[in-house]
Amino acid sequence: MILLPLLGQAATAADNIEILDLDRTLRPDFSGAWEKDFNRSDRWDQELTRQIEQMQRLLQSQSRGGGAAVGSAINLGGQGGGGNIVDLARLAEFISRQTTMQIRQTDSQVIIEREGEAALVCGTQLDAMETFTSPFGSEICGWDRRQLLFRITLPEGTGILHRFSVSDDKQWLNVATQISRGSSTPFNLIQIFYRYDAPPESYSCRQTLSRGNVCSRTDSTGDDDSDPFANP
Amino acid sequence: MMTVIPLPILDMNVLQAIRSMPWHLRMPMRAVLLSLSLASCAGPSPPAIPPPEPLGPVDLQTAQNPVQDRLLDVGVLVFNAPDDGAASAQLDGRVVTEIAEKETHYLPYVLRNTLVESNQWGAVRVLPQDDPSVDLIVRGTIIQSDGLGLQLRIQAQDSTGREWINQVYYDSSDLEPVRLDEEVAQSPTTFVDPFSDIYRQIANDLLGRRDAFDAAELENIKQVSQMRYAAELSPETFSRTLEAGADGLLRTTSLPARDDPMLQRVATMKLRHHVFIDTVDEYYAALYQEMQPVYALWRSYSREQIRETEADQREAARSSRGSTGFTALSQSYNRYKWAKIYQQEFAELAEGFNNEVAPAILELNRQVHGLSGTLEEQYVQWRGILREIFELESGPAPVTE
Repeated sequence: MILLPLLGQAATAADNIEILDLDRTLRPDFSGAWEKDFNRSDRWDQELTRQIEQMQRLLQSQSRGGGAAVGSAINLGGQGGGGNIVDLARLAEFISRQTTMQIRQTDSQVIIEREGEAALVCGTQLDAMETFTSPFGSEICGWDRRQLLFRITLPEGTGILHRFSVSDDKQWLNVATQISRGSSTPFNLIQIFYRYDAPPESYSCRQTLSRGNVCSRTDSTGDDDSDPFANP
Repeated sequence: MMTVIPLPILDMNVLQAIRSMPWHLRMPMRAVLLSLSLASCAGPSPPAIPPPEPLGPVDLQTAQNPVQDRLLDVGVLVFNAPDDGAASAQLDGRVVTEIAEKETHYLPYVLRNTLVESNQWGAVRVLPQDDPSVDLIVRGTIIQSDGLGLQLRIQAQDSTGREWINQVYYDSSDLEPVRLDEEVAQSPTTFVDPFSDIYRQIANDLLGRRDAFDAAELENIKQVSQMRYAAELSPETFSRTLEAGADGLLRTTSLPARDDPMLQRVATMKLRHHVFIDTVDEYYAALYQEMQPVYALWRSYSREQIRETEADQREAARSSRGSTGFTALSQSYNRYKWAKIYQQEFAELAEGFNNEVAPAILELNRQVHGLSGTLEEQYVQWRGILREIFELESGPAPVTE
């Protein structure tokens, strides 16, 4: 008698369980429109000061102990073979100026569009993949558990690592950028984005070669309306 | 001395402005932007396999009044696409693979047109697969196809199994006297294929082989194709008429009388079959007509893209290595960023080509006379139907010992 209602509840809960598609790689959902939260994001100059102070403390402790510097070389300035931390910090700021980004995601790929930048595109499969190669640099992407990684290597050896992760409630996006060069201490900059509701697209567009982008109006349900026009 | 303009100043507004430009203006703009930042940058370039010597200008050997007895029916099969697993593994590679698949239908039709233009052959058709009813089958594999070069491996074999040609042809559009992009922009529909020499050379080579045969050999080829087709319809009756010689080539051992009723039925079926493959050829013609202007445009963009990439590589090799400092770092990043943006734009272009040609491919594969599947599948179904009709009309096959 007591069990019956419980069994009924269990059946209802079981009905609501999402059926897993074992052929599909499960990835966090990054899709949406994101805007930078300046209050929660690192400020590059403050982060630079913090990292320099940290290095100085490390140097002082090493000099007190009479030992040589261990691990990464510390380069606060000058034009040595490694990048100095100030230049790396400025580069981190330079490539992280976007205040908004749009992310589209399908079962097979994630496309991160940032204002004034080339889109970052990665597949959802397990293997790391090379997504761009040129004399001016290369890019590979891959996954580290729930984080999406893009590793860019510039020809002179500068490395840029973007690490994207999304909160469990899908309201916050964390973008950690690391700039490194040679054996120098890398510079890390973390930016936080919050989700916002972007207005729905008014037009549905399709790229063609001879007529450029051919667009048609969409109604509120997203269905195509008949009024195609070309926008070469 | 070239002034170095720091690209950060240009960034956002320039990108928006370029994205609103028509495609044919975007390419030159790319060159301008990349050349604005000459500084530290060098990287290894992939080892290039030198292509064979490109063909020079080739005159097509045509006939005013061809000798009827020497006309062989030719089937040009849909070409094979290059096997480029590495490219298709990349995201942009998928788009490139799609283009290659479309080319496998388009390029054989250009060869077919050249053979027809030469007026040296009987019926010339593009076919989805091998067909025993034609005298000469031409197979092609696309090794390289872009705006700058076309490299094809061509194999031709007659119905007896004799190989006529098996070689790689290469033509470069660099030798063309006219600027492709200007010509395409002015009139894509009257555009002359920049690789027409390759097709003319193949046609001339085929003709050279044919002219080496005497009338009896050509007659044997025709008879073998006739009996191969008959044997496909009724192997029990006709397979005995063919045998392979010591050289592995098929020849006829005995021929039925001209008024043999079975042979007459075969002739009727062959006629029906040729009406069908003429229709198939018309579908390829429609696809060719539909694709031609867009394909010409695509090749023109492709050529520009390759030239820009080559210029980038030269520039990268020329630039010095090891510069540091924020200005050098940001310029290096900008070069990377612009190179990637333009690669993505080019991939978008390729996608545009695929989008535009997709309806023509759909039309090619639409259902014909109750047949279903792709055109290749319909072709197989049709040959099966003809065999069934032949059996019905002929009655049960004679029992052989």
